[in-house]
Amino acid sequence: MAGWLGRAVLTCAPLALAVAASFALAIAPASAQKRGGAVTYASGGGIGSLDPHVAGSLVELEVIHHVFETLVAMDESYNARPMLAAAVQVGDQARRFRFTLRKGVRFHNGEVVTSAAVLASFERYAMISTNTALLEDVSRYEVPDADTFVVHLKASNAMFIEMLKSPTYPLAILPPDQKDRPGREIEPIGTGPFTLETWEKDSHLILRRNAAYSVDRSAAGPDGLAGRKTAYLDTVRYDFLAEPAARLAALQGGQADAVANLPADYIRRLGDRTDLATLQVFPFCQLMFVTHAGNGLTAKTLIRQAIRAAVNVDDILAASGQPARRNPSLVYPGSPYHTGDASAEFYDRRNLDEARALLAQAGYNGEKLVLQTNSSFSYMRDAILVLAGQLREAGVNTEVQVVDWLANSTNLRRGTGNWNVTATGFCTQPLLGPQQWRSQIYTNPHIRDRAGLDDAYRRMFASPEFAPRQAAWRQIETQLLDQAYFIKVADLGAVRAYNTRLQGMAPYFFQRFWNTWVN
Amino acid sequence: MYRGILMRLSQAVPVLLIFSVMVFMLMHLLPGDPAQAIAGSDASEEAVEKIREQLGLNRPLPIQLLEWFAHLATGNFGESLTLKQSVVSAVGERLPVTLSLSLVSLVVTLPIGIGLGMVAAYWRNSWIDACVMVTALLGVSLPGFWVGILSVLYFSVTLGWFPPSGYVPLSEGGLWLWFASLVQPAIVLALFQIGFLARITRSAMLDVLDQDFIRTARAKGVDEWTVVSKHAFRNTLIPIVTVLGITLSLLIGGSVVIEQVFALPGIGRLIVQGILNRDYPLVQGTMLLFGFAFVVINILVDIIYTFVDPRVRYG
Repeated sequence: MAGWLGRAVLTCAPLALAVAASFALAIAPASAQKRGGAVTYASGGGIGSLDPHVAGSLVELEVIHHVFETLVAMDESYNARPMLAAAVQVGDQARRFRFTLRKGVRFHNGEVVTSAAVLASFERYAMISTNTALLEDVSRYEVPDADTFVVHLKASNAMFIEMLKSPTYPLAILPPDQKDRPGREIEPIGTGPFTLETWEKDSHLILRRNAAYSVDRSAAGPDGLAGRKTAYLDTVRYDFLAEPAARLAALQGGQADAVANLPADYIRRLGDRTDLATLQVFPFCQLMFVTHAGNGLTAKTLIRQAIRAAVNVDDILAASGQPARRNPSLVYPGSPYHTGDASAEFYDRRNLDEARALLAQAGYNGEKLVLQTNSSFSYMRDAILVLAGQLREAGVNTEVQVVDWLANSTNLRRGTGNWNVTATGFCTQPLLGPQQWRSQIYTNPHIRDRAGLDDAYRRMFASPEFAPRQAAWRQIETQLLDQAYFIKVADLGAVRAYNTRLQGMAPYFFQRFWNTWVN
Repeated sequence: MYRGILMRLSQAVPVLLIFSVMVFMLMHLLPGDPAQAIAGSDASEEAVEKIREQLGLNRPLPIQLLEWFAHLATGNFGESLTLKQSVVSAVGERLPVTLSLSLVSLVVTLPIGIGLGMVAAYWRNSWIDACVMVTALLGVSLPGFWVGILSVLYFSVTLGWFPPSGYVPLSEGGLWLWFASLVQPAIVLALFQIGFLARITRSAMLDVLDQDFIRTARAKGVDEWTVVSKHAFRNTLIPIVTVLGITLSLLIGGSVVIEQVFALPGIGRLIVQGILNRDYPLVQGTMLLFGFAFVVINILVDIIYTFVDPRVRYG
């Protein structure tokens, strides 16, 4: 059929000049790199599991991506790129995906990675993963030989490879004997550049360089989570320090060489120490207000739109202090799906008169509007506090509820609790593209007019051409923003810090320790 | 005496039962879903529901409570939802950290708290008394997490005297590294206890110093050191021992905050993580073990009474 589908759509060749450029910047001269040494990374809270198929938290995933690998992975620009696969061929109207495995790749236990291991991993994933929706359209698998694995889908899905690259709940390839292990109970045996040495729960975890790592020699250098990854460090120790102040103190006191994300105001405390440097990762998350369209006042579209009209983005960003950029879209500016000015009419209205008019039109009579936030993420809490002030100026009777993160996120996901507006940070969805938004949008139980969304998503997944997919996404984004289910605030960055004895540190969504070394 | 101890233990059973029901109810009253915590924020509702079903969280609360009691009756404190290990094993792994912290803290608390209280009582209404009491007041008033963070900033970051966080087991780092990893959090934890103990000691000492037998001892020409350290101090021991029991309980309770600030992998941190993840079996089991520890401490205090004051008898 269509020529584009019959060809190999992904190869190990560089995908774009932009990727090559960004990645060249990240690589220092080869002469500077040396093997050996140990580093300590002050990570966030503790790790519950190293089972990639059920891992969704950033802290877990940062470790997991050093130990396990997937068939395709995110590159430096967060696009899909083969990793354990040497090539992927798409055929039969995007219903058949043929993965040719990279030869000679071995698990940490010495076993060769074959299509049987890939099949076992896919089957396990479909049984136990929290993201089984990824494989729900699979009709069958095929294993023609030891190096080839074929996935057949029931319906066309032009985004399947993009979905497969997802770094959350990664579809990592495990040894076949792990197939029947329940979730969170696997042995941590992967193909990655590091192996697990020790893991003291709540305290620390140590990764050791995988001396027998099967390097992807077809790539010129490391590329996101894929490419030519080289482990120079002998060991990487992850210390689990939930408190940002403790992480910063560990870095300043020399106990840690690098630290996970810090609130922006902590960075000032680094002072003029020349041996410490910061690493700004941008973009990292999108700050968004989410309205509860199934509860009380915010069930009315006019009320939700009145809230949107009162939002003043600059004031919110000034309060949060995080590195931020204005962006009306639900995807980042570099993405081909970015809607540009199309969503500007829904963004940063800062129009109190409009808000008051909409409130009057909705018949608002001073009823209480509950703004819920959490005590764990200061940028979310600050955003809600500023919004409460802006709404009060517009004449809204607001109440701010502060709960912990789990209560806040459970309420958001399930529509439970008596709240009308909350603030949250969407991190992987805008990074990975429109397909990743789907589960988030559909999980929100209070979003109405699913028919319109269903239709747009159906067109997006079935369209072989890019233009109809882009149009479908524009429809989805417009519906979400116009109805003020989501009120976009800004794109946020993350700031990490490290000791300059650590070389090769490059900004990326996940902190990586391959292709880094110590002086 | 053994009969008395057995009686006290049997009296503890209904206390622990009521305590466990309260912990169970409080945990389940908290908003937030453990299945959501396990699944992650990106998980679909179906995936979360699947986990809820696997963990038995979709059953009625009374059934879950009865099942927990049934397991307790067989000595099974349950299995952590997030750690995938038994509660007893999770607590056992972390117990040395909390015990070490409490022990070092107690070693700091006892001489300083009692000493300050005695000094303040002896020089009552003097500037020394005022200084000690202001210090004690600060000790009981300043929040531990705040003092902890300031302490890290000054003693670890600025002066570099102590490691800012983490725990080195005795078996791995030897005595010095073990002690170095604990001394700062132990002192911060001890601040409250020192203030508390100093105030109680001063109060008890003042009562005793006004007694006739002290006046008699002084009239007989006994030197002041003997009067205070032997005659007066021995008679203040009953209230001090009572407070020591409370102090030990407070040390274990205070470790919840201090372990979090100093990233010590002890039971306190385990409980905080358990609460944040709504790990019901972990929090219920750990709290019940804490409750049992408090009961044992109180019984030990009662036993110590019989040595301190021969007039006290049990049984």
